[in-house]
Amino acid sequence: MAVKSIHAESNAPVIEMQNVGIRYDKGPEILKDIKLSLKKGSFHFLTGKSGAGKTSLLSMMYLAQKPSRGIVNVFGRNINFAKRDSLAMLRRKIGVVFQDFRLLDHLSAFDNVALPLRVCGMDEKEVRKRVYELLQWVELDRHMQATPATLSGGEKQRIAIARAVINRPELLLADEPTGNVDGDIAIKLMKLFVELNKLGTTVVIATHSEKLISDFSYPCMHLQNGGLHIYYPDGKMGMPNV
Amino acid sequence: MSKSQFISRKQELPLDGDTTSLFLQVIISITVFIFAITLSGVLSINSMLHNWNESILGSLTVQIMPVNLADKNKAQAETLAHQDNVAEYLKSVAGVENVSPLNEAQLKKLIQPWLGDGVNLNNLPLPRIIDVKLKPQAEIDFEELSAGLAKISDYASLDNHKLWLSKLIKFADGLKMLAMTVLILVVMVTSGAIFYTTQTSLGLHKYIIEILHTMGAKDAYIAQQYARRNAFLGAVGGIIGILFAVPVIFLIASLARQIEGGIISEAALSLPDWGIILSLPAFSAAIAMTTAYYTVKQTLQKLL
Repeated sequence: MAVKSIHAESNAPVIEMQNVGIRYDKGPEILKDIKLSLKKGSFHFLTGKSGAGKTSLLSMMYLAQKPSRGIVNVFGRNINFAKRDSLAMLRRKIGVVFQDFRLLDHLSAFDNVALPLRVCGMDEKEVRKRVYELLQWVELDRHMQATPATLSGGEKQRIAIARAVINRPELLLADEPTGNVDGDIAIKLMKLFVELNKLGTTVVIATHSEKLISDFSYPCMHLQNGGLHIYYPDGKMGMPNV
Repeated sequence: MSKSQFISRKQELPLDGDTTSLFLQVIISITVFIFAITLSGVLSINSMLHNWNESILGSLTVQIMPVNLADKNKAQAETLAHQDNVAEYLKSVAGVENVSPLNEAQLKKLIQPWLGDGVNLNNLPLPRIIDVKLKPQAEIDFEELSAGLAKISDYASLDNHKLWLSKLIKFADGLKMLAMTVLILVVMVTSGAIFYTTQTSLGLHKYIIEILHTMGAKDAYIAQQYARRNAFLGAVGGIIGILFAVPVIFLIASLARQIEGGIISEAALSLPDWGIILSLPAFSAAIAMTTAYYTVKQTLQKLL
């Protein structure tokens, strides 16, 4: 497949990687020769042992890191050549749930969830409407004014997920999104991801939970020894060119 | 009406709590104070130069040396005759508006500061002075005028003030250059302080900025928050600086007025001058805002 350069195309893969490698300073390559193409509307799990490079792979996807080598296209734009403001516009299409939540401690739950909308310059009235509705949906409307320090791990995770999906992203990346929540809530959150996926959002969820992978029959990208392999629900194995 | 309407919005970057804020405000207050004092000096020198130039262009003085004869009365009469002849000649010169020979009382008043009271001036051979006012925009050929005076009287000499004023103007220009250098240094120091405090703050809030970037914030979004905050600090710091500077300017002006001779007391600040000085907080706010904005933009460029 030819690698797209600067100009985006409507049918371009959401994420495309060609011979991508990542190393930190002069250390060994964490990721080697990664080839990947995720179509719009796809849903993948991402697995691998701790230190396998899941976070590095995800950080390239949400444009926090450039590859040490190779080409990464996000929404058809080569991130090595995209201008800073263009990268910012691309990030607005991406929702990210971090394993450590990365909520802003001095802001209320409400302001944390409102962040992506305010960054886009959305009208404050619309921001308040959307955030309130979503907080009701994740059953945290009673904690709107609470700061993250006063919330439990599960509540923080729901805030982090609400923040990631409030902007109806085209790409949703989640690092262990159900790791700190009870089973019922975990199922509810997964259903939210599935619903978003049905509406066209491309979803990648990094997880260690075999139960989650078996409960939801989606392809699984597995990182091992710096390489990426894909497993399909029917047991077939292949390269992640889906 | 939903509950969310009653929630107040907090700034994403908690810049209010930055320890560098107080430092920056103090620095701006001090620099605006120095700037205001120096600027008032520059403006005063400007007005002084203006007044001196006006006096150069607007007047000249003709001196009649006393005729030296054994008979004092005859000598005095002859001196006055020379004065009258010269005055008549001066009235005929094109561009001359008014010719006023100084009377005895005026001459005594002029000389009194040097000789003090109690000296009988009648015994002294005093020169006579003729004050000549020129018409506005009059173009006088001083060499021609001197030659004309020489023909009328050997005792007459022309002083167009240019020599002593040119020395004073040169000195005042030097002072002005020095003050301008101080002003430039003050602006540079302020900009430098804003640059470093902004960079320190960016380091402190790196974590939040990374999250904002992940959410899709452009550098300008972050830079605007810094610009707003620094504009506020610049304005408040500027107002404090001005509040301290104005009484000092009045004090210096009052001291200057007490100096006799009238040269320095001509250095008064006009209403537009005061307008410029009192607008310094707006100026400091603009510098703080602009420097912070471009520092943030430039620093963030180094990130992905």
